[in-house]
Amino acid sequence: MTDNETTSSIRGERDLANAQDIIVCEGVSKWFGDFQALNNVSATIKEQEVVVVLGPSGSGKSTWIRCINRLEQHQEGRIMVDGVELSNDLRNIEKVRSEVGMVFQMFNLFPHLTVRDNVSLAPIWVRKKPRAEAEEQAASLLERVGIPEQADKFPGQLSGGQQQRVAIARALAMEPKIMLFDEPTSALDPEMIKEVLDVMKELALSGMTMMVVTHEMGFAKEVADKIMFMEGGQIVEIGTPDHFFTNPTEERTKLFLSQIL
Amino acid sequence: MNLKNFTSQKQLKTDPLAEASNSELPPKAPVLSPAEWLKANLFSNTFNSVLTILSTAAILLIIRGLLSFIFNPLRQWSATATNMRLLMTQAYPEHQYARIWVSLGFLLFLTGVSLAFWRAGRSVLLSQVGKRLLAIGSFIVLVTLLAPFSSEATIIWLIVGVFIAGTGFLLKSSREDKTTSSMTLLSGAFLLAILSLWVIPYGHHSYISTRTPKILAEPGTVAMTTKLPWTIMLVVAICSYFLGSLIRDKIDEAKGKALLSTTWLISPLFLLFLVLRDPDFDTGHLFSTDIPIFLFFSIVGSVILLWLTNPDIGEKGRVISTAILFVGFATFLFQMLMIVRILTLVLAFFALAAPTFSGQKPARIRYTKVWIGTMVILCWLITAINTPSTAKVPGDFFIGGFAITLMIFFFTMVLAFPLGVLLALARTSKFPIFRMVSTTFIEFIRGVPLITILIFFSVMVPLFLPDGMDLTEIAAVTIAFIIFEAAYLAENVRGGLQSVTRGQHEAAEAVGMTNAQKTFFIVLPQALRVAIPPMVGQIIATFKETGLLAIIGIFDFLYIARSVIPGQTEFMGSTRENLLFVSLVYLVICFSMSKASQRVEKRVGLGER
Repeated sequence: MTDNETTSSIRGERDLANAQDIIVCEGVSKWFGDFQALNNVSATIKEQEVVVVLGPSGSGKSTWIRCINRLEQHQEGRIMVDGVELSNDLRNIEKVRSEVGMVFQMFNLFPHLTVRDNVSLAPIWVRKKPRAEAEEQAASLLERVGIPEQADKFPGQLSGGQQQRVAIARALAMEPKIMLFDEPTSALDPEMIKEVLDVMKELALSGMTMMVVTHEMGFAKEVADKIMFMEGGQIVEIGTPDHFFTNPTEERTKLFLSQIL
Repeated sequence: MNLKNFTSQKQLKTDPLAEASNSELPPKAPVLSPAEWLKANLFSNTFNSVLTILSTAAILLIIRGLLSFIFNPLRQWSATATNMRLLMTQAYPEHQYARIWVSLGFLLFLTGVSLAFWRAGRSVLLSQVGKRLLAIGSFIVLVTLLAPFSSEATIIWLIVGVFIAGTGFLLKSSREDKTTSSMTLLSGAFLLAILSLWVIPYGHHSYISTRTPKILAEPGTVAMTTKLPWTIMLVVAICSYFLGSLIRDKIDEAKGKALLSTTWLISPLFLLFLVLRDPDFDTGHLFSTDIPIFLFFSIVGSVILLWLTNPDIGEKGRVISTAILFVGFATFLFQMLMIVRILTLVLAFFALAAPTFSGQKPARIRYTKVWIGTMVILCWLITAINTPSTAKVPGDFFIGGFAITLMIFFFTMVLAFPLGVLLALARTSKFPIFRMVSTTFIEFIRGVPLITILIFFSVMVPLFLPDGMDLTEIAAVTIAFIIFEAAYLAENVRGGLQSVTRGQHEAAEAVGMTNAQKTFFIVLPQALRVAIPPMVGQIIATFKETGLLAIIGIFDFLYIARSVIPGQTEFMGSTRENLLFVSLVYLVICFSMSKASQRVEKRVGLGER
């Protein structure tokens, strides 16, 4: 774990008070059949903010984060991402998706492509970059996530931690404004979790807007600007890590913390 | 997943302690001696021993029966040997035969150069080769002992078998690290087989004691018209391999490979013309009508597509492509050539797909090249359909036998494959209209016997054709095959499409790919890889189904063997010999396809799990 003080000092440099709202959710609800997965979720995330979403399993955290780049469709309410409202208009969806990077629990790398092609494919065909430039960018991103030597391998030849770092590089290659992480470390062996978290911390320090669903309390304490606690499809409590871990207001939050800490 | 393996390997590399322990080789798994192997695998208990003895006896009996059939003095093997030309090309005129040899030579040349460029072949341990030879030699000895040869022939073949086995035995005990290239072995085998044409009197059945063979060629030799061309073929193949390895180092390898692949794709079209058309073929229609139309579409289409693939074109592009689509449909309201209608629709399809493949200059030029390539191939196909053959032969069609089997098989596969993929995509599409059309088509075709479709296309379809459109029977039949096989291939591909996980779709969507990009770059490559085994099964089935061509009166390979040769007065009643030969040819080809597919599977499986 890096030093707590440096992190907070860097975090303090960001002027979050005057930052623009980049994700706005107003009364978002979603049902799977009769089951209500999201119940009137309203929240705002500012530019450069790092938000960690906590909650017991089945509380709707993943569903919510997947609604934000429309991998799931919400049925009520409004979601605005960087000024674009998510609706059934395909062009809006494609626009939002190319601005929002996503990292999945199961990595979901493309198994038939090399690591380099995994990273450079979308920039070439979605961003229409020249191939040479895209591959150069892929190389520098792989360097950034610490695995430049694996560029010619296939995903199946990498360890879980390395695969997840490639997945982060793939999302970053689109130069997104927002990164969504859907339980990025849940499918990893314990000794590989740290290498992924380190990359995520570096990303947070560089000023990326991040929304992270995770069970890593250490990461939440150290990096988050804001913690949102969800249960039963609702946001129960929003607060800074200090407030959340030391002095939560809601009973359900206390219960949750007592179970995991 | 071999994640665990990988991490342990990685640890081995980094951990000095592990490295130290790694320098000592791990103990090898104990190797069983032959006697121990026999005991462990064949005689492990009473029941197994009985089974082993019984099945060995049964296998020996079967081989013995087969050999006594093959080497029976009553067999007329000369029927097959004499009629080889009929079996291969039916009535193709003999003085034109050089054209077929040139085609074959060209294919061998391409094969040789490609083998060199792709660095085919691997190094094989000499001891492995030795094992193979030992097995082959022992098999020859076994066959000789079982077969009803004359005593003289038995001795000759025993010597041959023992010689091969002995060579194998010597090689087997050679040093561990001695290797040779599998290409050397292959060309060696090819060389021996062809040299033997000059030395061994094939067709002169000296190994059967009581027989005066009926032989049309000079007795005891192979005809000059067989051995000379084959020797030339051998020289061509070997020279082209060396030429390939020579050029390989001189020029840019990627460019050379691209050129070779293109030549492979175009060569069947070119070769068919070579076999089909006389030099005095009337090219008037071709130059006055077809080529100008295609030229026009190539140029105008290229300009439009170059413009449409500009990434900044935006809304205007969509309007223009939709307009082209409407024009395409509107052409059916007016009197005009069918080609023009079809080409306008194809152009509309390309225009609609343009935004997906838009990009910087190289991407735009590549897309335009694909368009021009499509034009060239369509131009060739339509010309081939519209112009009759000028090779003068008795009967309806210029060529038959094995050649027609191969030809129809090849064109069916090349065209049914893309159609099948399109059908599968349509059937899994989000749009109900596509789903409905594709499902109806597939289920209808799969519900109708192939024979019905063949007869329908050869008898009914020509009646419904618009005025001025001429469809030769062979083209009609090929279309029937394409439609039939596409329906089956579509179902195989659909199985592959369903095996692509939801996570892959989501990952592709999350980086902002459009539906077409997702399908083309992510879903299809993975789906096709999964679909290889069932598709190869379907391809093999197609190859064998070409035997049905006989029903609509085309003299295919099987029909000639079954009905034509046994009808010749000197070879009455030689059906069984011919059928055995034909089955052997089918077996060899189907088996090699299956082997090749296993290799492809291994290759594309690279990096998976």
